[in-house]
Amino acid sequence: MKIEKVLVETEDRNIKTFSLSFANGADKSDFNYVPGQFAELSVLGKGEAPFGMASSPTQEGCLEFTVNKAGLLTTALHNMEPGDIVGVRGPLGNGYPLEQLEGGNIVIIGGGFGFSTLRALTNFMLDDRNRGRFGDITVIYGARNPGLVLYKDELEEWGKRDDLSLYMTVDSANGDWNGRVGLIPNIVKEVAPSADNTYALVCGPPVMIRFTLPVLQELGFPSDKTLLSLEMRMKCGLGMCGRCNIGSKYVCADGPVFTLAELSKLPQEH
Amino acid sequence: MTNTSLKLKEADLAISDQIREAARRLLQQKEVELVIGFEQGTLPLRFTPCFIRNEEDVDRLVWNSFCSNNLAKYLIKRTEKVAVVAKACDVRAIVELIKENQISRDQVVIIGVPYSGMIDRRRIEAELEGKEILGVEEEGNNIILKGNGFTKVLDRNKYLCRCCEESTPANPVIYDILIGELVEEKVPCQSPEIAEFEAKSSDERWSYICAEISKCIRCYACRNACPFCYCQECFVDKTSPQWIGKTTNPSDTLIFHLTRALHVAGRCVGCGACERACPMGVDIRKLNSKLVGDVRELFGYEAGTSLEGVAPLATFKPDDPEGFMLNP
Amino acid sequence: MIAKIVRESDLINLLGEWLKEYELIAPVKRDNLVVFDRVDSAGEVLFNYSNTVKSAKELLLPQSETLFTYSSVDHSASIEAHFNDAAPKLLFGVRPCDAKSFLLLDKVFDGERYKDAYYLNRRANTLVVTIGCVKPRTTCFCTSVNGGPFSEDGSDLMLIDIGDAYVVKVTSDRGAGLLEGAELEDAGEDDLASMKRVIQDAEASMSPKLAIEGRQENLESIFDDPIWGPLTEKCLGCGVCTYLCPTCHCFDIIDEARDSQGERIRVWDSCQFSQFTLQASGFNPRLTNKERLRQRVMHKFSYFPKNYGLTGCVGCGRCIQECPVNLDIRDVLNDLLMESVIK
Repeated sequence: MKIEKVLVETEDRNIKTFSLSFANGADKSDFNYVPGQFAELSVLGKGEAPFGMASSPTQEGCLEFTVNKAGLLTTALHNMEPGDIVGVRGPLGNGYPLEQLEGGNIVIIGGGFGFSTLRALTNFMLDDRNRGRFGDITVIYGARNPGLVLYKDELEEWGKRDDLSLYMTVDSANGDWNGRVGLIPNIVKEVAPSADNTYALVCGPPVMIRFTLPVLQELGFPSDKTLLSLEMRMKCGLGMCGRCNIGSKYVCADGPVFTLAELSKLPQEH
Repeated sequence: MTNTSLKLKEADLAISDQIREAARRLLQQKEVELVIGFEQGTLPLRFTPCFIRNEEDVDRLVWNSFCSNNLAKYLIKRTEKVAVVAKACDVRAIVELIKENQISRDQVVIIGVPYSGMIDRRRIEAELEGKEILGVEEEGNNIILKGNGFTKVLDRNKYLCRCCEESTPANPVIYDILIGELVEEKVPCQSPEIAEFEAKSSDERWSYICAEISKCIRCYACRNACPFCYCQECFVDKTSPQWIGKTTNPSDTLIFHLTRALHVAGRCVGCGACERACPMGVDIRKLNSKLVGDVRELFGYEAGTSLEGVAPLATFKPDDPEGFMLNP
Repeated sequence: MIAKIVRESDLINLLGEWLKEYELIAPVKRDNLVVFDRVDSAGEVLFNYSNTVKSAKELLLPQSETLFTYSSVDHSASIEAHFNDAAPKLLFGVRPCDAKSFLLLDKVFDGERYKDAYYLNRRANTLVVTIGCVKPRTTCFCTSVNGGPFSEDGSDLMLIDIGDAYVVKVTSDRGAGLLEGAELEDAGEDDLASMKRVIQDAEASMSPKLAIEGRQENLESIFDDPIWGPLTEKCLGCGVCTYLCPTCHCFDIIDEARDSQGERIRVWDSCQFSQFTLQASGFNPRLTNKERLRQRVMHKFSYFPKNYGLTGCVGCGRCIQECPVNLDIRDVLNDLLMESVIK
């Protein structure tokens, strides 16, 4: 695929969102994905790594990935410019169970970098063709500090909508941050809607998840309606290389989206 | 699953008893929380590291000529007080590791076992060419091997661990408890193997090393068995920069072995754990052994022989040899 | 199908015939080790051996394999997939454990969801002629994992040494194809009686069975049990067990480049290596040898059976033979199963 646009998301310039277009037109129709799925991005000569799709399939013709500069491949990606070619292998994984979510209310809780696939899901649900299928949508998104907030422009647009409740927070503020300050679990306690017929979708760093889940449980969200998108070191994306398993489930092929009920049956090794 | 027909020779029985006694006492008096030693393995020639924390388990500890693993490996960065049953080469490794701050001297109780002549099971296995050994006994200088329909008697002196064959001392350099008595120290001599290697021309050495390395499957058993390979992130795992490729490309494999040999040079005590760990019979120790000799010659340093002194490659002295610069 | 009989000299001839059509891979002696290698003449084949050091898995899943080569030019790249080893192969002299391991690897690489074209390419091209184990080793435990010294799983032909000849059993259509034109005699009653005796003796000589089958839930129930600490304490964390194992299939995918050209390569990897599950964030869910060895045991004896209905181990005993610290998986399993009964 070809890089069309590179957007620097964060102040420290460590996170960039890449918008890609298909170099080969036929691939466009073959690449059918749902939010929550991921793809293996490759830079020829450097390797391959998995990234969640940050764009919704309703955004025609383009595929977005939000990449944190952390190692060999991501550094190579960060050094690339519009016009450069990258490889994409996918879609992989199970994605969010859209049929199941239909008719219910949705609470999206995203922390830091883990917000990217939730952003894809939100955009999907907000699309005119889809909005009617879902009930109330609440989005709770937090970053460590204002400089690390992703998708700033888009969030501003979301804030103006009346078919979505958006709550943003940062762990610690600086300068001109006018919004909430507080850790996500606390914000969730404050603003989460009723758990009645509501699905909670959570994605973020392990520590955030660890403290948010008990809050959700207290608020009455059942474990089969609490969904997590897990992170694991992945390579093949097909359940073959043996790397990403939790118990008998492969995060790349059986996940990365799991309900809390499913996870509680697996060894606690993540 | 242990081999029930364990028959130790007299001398080994005595040593085993004394080790158990020491371990029992140390645990009883709560001087240590853990005793690391050897117990019978699940194959006739195998004796395996064991970790004893309770007095009632002390009788599992045994000693004989097949206790060849280097137990110093298990002492690194321990928080509790530990006793270790250590032969001479293990102790040498411990000495260097103390100097490298990986083990604290007052945290380890060294149960030193003077012993000349550990047997290298790999050499015996090679001699038997794949025939399965079902029982082993030692009688004097004889190793009596029994299998299905055969008995073979070998002269133990031809099947020693290379390290025991060479000039390296058989007595622990330091110890807190001594098992038995110090043995007669060996007369230092160069290993005939190393002499043979040194007599080869540069090209011959290159061919030899390349041929050996071609057997390597990059399982890293050699690295993991070595007490001195304790880096949190080994150079083989680094991606930025990437030092070597991950395939079995001979060039990459060679760089792995050469680099590892240099990383442990000056610290390596020649114990041979690397060689015995290798499933493919790669002659890994040759290179390390050669470097031990070179370090002795160039820097007058012998790893593991004293708690004083720094490994030559970890320090710089103005009178370090400069021949490689002036006479390349 | 009726069993046939073949004398050793005729077998050599048969191998010679096979050599005309197939690349023949058989056990040979290299230095002091027995390994699988390609042979150019039947005379090179080693018959008297227990088992090879490395398993036969590298024939289907090579230690390193180029997946594709690429070449980038300006803002485009061309990629060429490599299906290596297309020539038909005959793997001769495998043991039943290794033959069975192919069926287990099939579950992973010829799966319901995804199929691995590289593996399947080799699989389709490889025929398997097994030689049954007349003298199992003390470390063999195939009978504890639904296998046996004369198990026919995964074989196309099975040869059983009855002393002066081999009984030949056809165990697949492809195996039958191998014997076409060979005109082997039918095995006589005496031959079959000898065979029966040989099989009985071999099976009786095997070490006592472990009670592993069907115990997945037991193992899962003690996943967090403190017993794992002492059981794994002596593990060095090297890759010997996984690399020699016929059913271990973990791999990594890496790129190697020179300027604008390069290749993407699949290489063996091991769940025992410290960085295997290290995440980009720096978090590692399997931080010590304990978690990693637990993963190996659970994967083979709990997760794999759960997913595929077969125990993920063929009992070849190579890990027991070669572990540098003699960490014996049979002891581990016995201790775990006992613990799970207590708890």
